[in-house]
Amino acid sequence: MTTLVAAIEDAARRHGAAPALSWHQATWSYADLAGAMSRVRDAIAAKVNAGDRVALLLRNSPQFAAAFYGVLGAGAAAVPLNVQERAGVLARQIEHCGARLVLADAAHVEFAALREALDGARVTLLPLELVDSANGCEAFGASLGVHPATAAPAVGAESLACIIYTSGTTGRPKGVMLSHANLLSNARIIASYLGIEPADKVMCPLPFHFSYGMSVLNSNLAAGAHIVLEDNLAFPQVVVKRLQDEGITGFAGVPATFALLLGRTQLKDFNLARLRYVTQAGGAMPRPQIQALRAALPHSRVFIMYGQTEATARLSFLPPDELDEKLGSVGLPLPGVEIEIRDPAGHVVPEAEVGELCARGPNVMMGYWDDATLTAQVVRDGWLHTGDLAHRDGEGYLYIDGREVEMIKVGAFRVSPQEIEEVLATLPGVQEVAVTGMPDALLGQAIKAVIVPREGAALDVMSVKAHCRAHLANYKIPKVVEFAAELPRTSSGKVQRYKLA
Amino acid sequence: MSDALRDQVRDFILENYLFTSDTSALGLDDSLLGRGIVDSTGMLEIIFFIEEQLGVKVKDEEMIPDNLDGVNKIVNFVSSKRQAA
Repeated sequence: MTTLVAAIEDAARRHGAAPALSWHQATWSYADLAGAMSRVRDAIAAKVNAGDRVALLLRNSPQFAAAFYGVLGAGAAAVPLNVQERAGVLARQIEHCGARLVLADAAHVEFAALREALDGARVTLLPLELVDSANGCEAFGASLGVHPATAAPAVGAESLACIIYTSGTTGRPKGVMLSHANLLSNARIIASYLGIEPADKVMCPLPFHFSYGMSVLNSNLAAGAHIVLEDNLAFPQVVVKRLQDEGITGFAGVPATFALLLGRTQLKDFNLARLRYVTQAGGAMPRPQIQALRAALPHSRVFIMYGQTEATARLSFLPPDELDEKLGSVGLPLPGVEIEIRDPAGHVVPEAEVGELCARGPNVMMGYWDDATLTAQVVRDGWLHTGDLAHRDGEGYLYIDGREVEMIKVGAFRVSPQEIEEVLATLPGVQEVAVTGMPDALLGQAIKAVIVPREGAALDVMSVKAHCRAHLANYKIPKVVEFAAELPRTSSGKVQRYKLA
Repeated sequence: MSDALRDQVRDFILENYLFTSDTSALGLDDSLLGRGIVDSTGMLEIIFFIEEQLGVKVKDEEMIPDNLDGVNKIVNFVSSKRQAA
């Protein structure tokens, strides 16, 4: 089997009645999913050629999976967009990747604004119905319309499967290109080390447009398991009760997820004996929190993992049995993945010395869409330069020591200070602005903006935040806004963001 | 039900999540999550507000949509907790 699509179709043939995805009142079997995938393929076949990009503006749902794999099965490349973004950013990404077709949730809050923002002559917005009840699969199929059945084209393993937009150091869109082989190899390895089986029932609160969430989707469906979607963690006690009542066997979270569960629920009051494992990725989790999680979940194996979108998702994991001895480590490279820690000249550094973590393997991306320059900087001789600083201990275990570039990590989301600065610079009355990360107990970092107002400008915190809310995803709105007479600078005039925190 | 309490809760959400004082921006029965006004972090901040500003302790098991996902729900929850106290 050379693609994830083939793996899912195979699962549908062998155990079609088995549940694939549950979302609120709806449960889609593997047969439902495979059927909806081919309906998507039929619906778009006349509109796309091999390699064309098709953007998805769909929240986590069985319909997302049907659209994503349906696009892949048609030989096109899926571009899952962040549903939290506003129309302006979405339109820029759609234009950047040259998608001429967007499969969009008709009920998305930005739907009308996006239609307005896009060039209707060039881009078709196909509204789809996302219903979370028992007839969701039928309603989704109906919204696709009636189309002649098509045969699945042959899809090369090395061809482009998807583009995932991620935050770069500049405000420019940065689209990570992943091949079918990238997705399948990473999904298989993850399914293997987590021991995922068809009997597993995993809960996923992570968005699928984000590489960690996408890896949960891919690895569980490739293994024939059942994914239960959780829309949000606003009510952690409700989530833990679901883990218990539904007999969930696996759970994926980021550090903020576990901070919430540990801080706002009584995990020990629930029977979580069936929860076989939990996984953590998406940034470093403080060591005391790892220990608290392990103590609170005595029946579960805790997997600490590391990766990045440019490596499809995963680069390393720490075997749970070694959690105590190697506390703070992100473990060893995945099978088939080589990792080296290098100095700025490109030489491998000795044990315990910090350098840049570089990786080679079947999970390394094809490059950045339409950005050969950046691709050449990041992937050299087949080696991915992650930008993460790390060291190894005497036994080869990896420890992450920080990042080389100035990014803010809010929860598990990377946020570019420049993107926010660019938005704030468009607000009348702002003369200068600098954005930085500040420590935050729950999210690791929160965003802080320091603004130098124009003389006589009537700016206040609320109007600044309202402007951000109109143009940025909610998690990118600065938590703290301050006004200052000037910004701290180096002698060469460069703003010193770190001095703002 | 106290109008002052209702205004206090609504103003807090308007000022901190919608960044406006226009009361028409938020219906009293609107779902804060459904409308994408707050996420899980925002909900924690609302709980902090209820505990610190309104003086009502929110137990872990009381963190459910029926108590917290909307202005009227929060007002009803806080009022009943105050009466029980």
